[in-house]
Amino acid sequence: MNKETLPSQFESFAEARKQGFLAVKKLKEEGKKVAGLFCTYTPHEIFLAAKAVPVGICAFSDETIAAAEKVLPRNLCPLIKSSYGFAVTEKCPYMYFADLIVGETTCDGKKKMYELLGEIKNVHVMQLPQNQHDETAAELWYQEVLRLKAKVEAEFGITIKDEDIKNAIKIKNEERKLLQEFYELSKKCPPPMSGTEQLKVLYGSQFKFDPMAKNQELREAIDRVKHEAESGNLIPDTARRILITGCPLAGVTEKLVTAIEQSGGVVVAYENCIGIKPAERLVNELEEPYRAIADRYLQIGCSVMSPDKNRFDLLTQLVQEFKIDGVVEMTLQACHTYAVETTQIRTLMQKEKVPFISVETDYSTADTAQLKTRMAAFIEML
Amino acid sequence: MKKYYVGIDSGSTMCKTILFDGKDITDCHRIKTGWNPLLSAEKSLKLLLERNKIGYEDVIVSTTGYGREAIEFAGFTYTEITCHALGALFLSSTVGALPAVGGVIDIGGQDSKIILIHDGKVVNFLMNDKCAAGTGRFLSIACDTLGIDLADIDQFADPNEGISINSMCAVFAESEIIGLLAAGTDRSQILTGVLQSIGNKIWQMTGKLMIDESKPFLMTGGLSCSRLLMDIIAQITGLHIITHEYAAWAGAVGACICAANTVGRTTSPPNKAIEPDTYE
Repeated sequence: MNKETLPSQFESFAEARKQGFLAVKKLKEEGKKVAGLFCTYTPHEIFLAAKAVPVGICAFSDETIAAAEKVLPRNLCPLIKSSYGFAVTEKCPYMYFADLIVGETTCDGKKKMYELLGEIKNVHVMQLPQNQHDETAAELWYQEVLRLKAKVEAEFGITIKDEDIKNAIKIKNEERKLLQEFYELSKKCPPPMSGTEQLKVLYGSQFKFDPMAKNQELREAIDRVKHEAESGNLIPDTARRILITGCPLAGVTEKLVTAIEQSGGVVVAYENCIGIKPAERLVNELEEPYRAIADRYLQIGCSVMSPDKNRFDLLTQLVQEFKIDGVVEMTLQACHTYAVETTQIRTLMQKEKVPFISVETDYSTADTAQLKTRMAAFIEML
Repeated sequence: MKKYYVGIDSGSTMCKTILFDGKDITDCHRIKTGWNPLLSAEKSLKLLLERNKIGYEDVIVSTTGYGREAIEFAGFTYTEITCHALGALFLSSTVGALPAVGGVIDIGGQDSKIILIHDGKVVNFLMNDKCAAGTGRFLSIACDTLGIDLADIDQFADPNEGISINSMCAVFAESEIIGLLAAGTDRSQILTGVLQSIGNKIWQMTGKLMIDESKPFLMTGGLSCSRLLMDIIAQITGLHIITHEYAAWAGAVGACICAANTVGRTTSPPNKAIEPDTYE
């Protein structure tokens, strides 16, 4: 797919991430508190209510993996190694400026890494239950949300008032609705944008630090994509519609999106942490705020959950709604939970009669040719 | 109207070339891919054309395999999955006695793969991940360590007894073999163990696919010349495995078939304009 002329609405979001360093430095100078967050389970609303800046610090580059391997084992997920590496090398501005880093007991690799990270950074770990459908799990998670609130109040020397949290819920819900409206544009056949462009906005939106301005920009991006789609199809209608699922995808692993889109496919949906998962459910604005937050976040589908019914349900729903021709799963090397769950996803897709391929990769570019062959063959097959 | 097709399968180890007249395979050639896939492809093409007294202007060139993108003079390129499948269908049809193949087991230099075919089309495939276990490279490392020529494995291996090789990684397997040799283990039994470990790898891959066991599978790739490996794979997987004299060229044959199919649908002129004289 020819990407010579990228519309500016995508670039603005791509730039946000690159410019984030200066932006976050400026915010710090203005006295703002910065919170570095790892997984989608961390409730952003608490930080918004505390007038702090939440920013994602999962790393997507192999730049710091060698440094991380001085401490961590080699046969570990590259996301964990890379993130830890950015902390020890002080190369990540967000990690560097973060007043508080929040992780959860998600996968084994991450929770053990947080212990080591805690030796050099101010780390708070939330105890995430691994079941989404029983009362004890819900109660534990509710208590953990309250404990996070207390931690944030103590660390930042503030008090989160009821109206603050309610307002934060409203703003964050608004952002989710806008993100939903944005990625659902690709339900159209052919989609009005490529998967590369869609990902730019989904990933880049994490690095727009003024929540009101971010929502305004999302609105504008949606309207412009819609407007441009009216003047003709940019994506050929022969392009095969691909859904990507699996481990977090951004940065160097975008090589997979490139391989798909250079082989006659177009990525229309991302069932990933950067993608549909963080946006698809709203916090109930009528319930007690912290209970509503806990209930919403606990329902995110991820292979750390056992069983992971919500992921299966979401995938089933998305392949229908987005008229998916083929599902590509990306697992990161040594991500055991996703790698084991692949068997269930393969069976599920067989049942849904949707062609499925799973590829394992890491943060190097060594397998670019292999990925290209697999994706080209998969799309030739569709 | 061009009369001939040349299919080039530029693999990680060998460059396989087929001359096809639209109906039959008329010639074939195979050389080491070497460091430059373009160079080995050019050499093979030149040799085939000279040997058959055919001009460059009379052939349609199509490529597949890892080096396919590097062969810039080709008119068409296809992935090795599609090519192996179509090549296997063609080859099995030339040996009339066979039912249509249900798929391909290809053990290449860098990859091993299983491709499922239904109604003449690829319906699913699986390739080994970034690991040499169960590939031709794995066997070649093992043969080096054992001091056996790759061409002699069928004569050398003990058909009755294999020593189990447990290491999943080709490099670790090499250490394991060195350990076994140091302990005085019989080389012919170690070699059989290596072949069995390739069979086990293929068997593990079959578990991830819905295979119709009533149909035969064509074994392709350079190792398809080993009758013993074929028997071991058949025994471990329970599949009916067949081969063909051109099985090592299945990808190149498929590239010809793909090109013939494409040419049948389009009128766009294929090959890039280069003269055979400029090959070297």
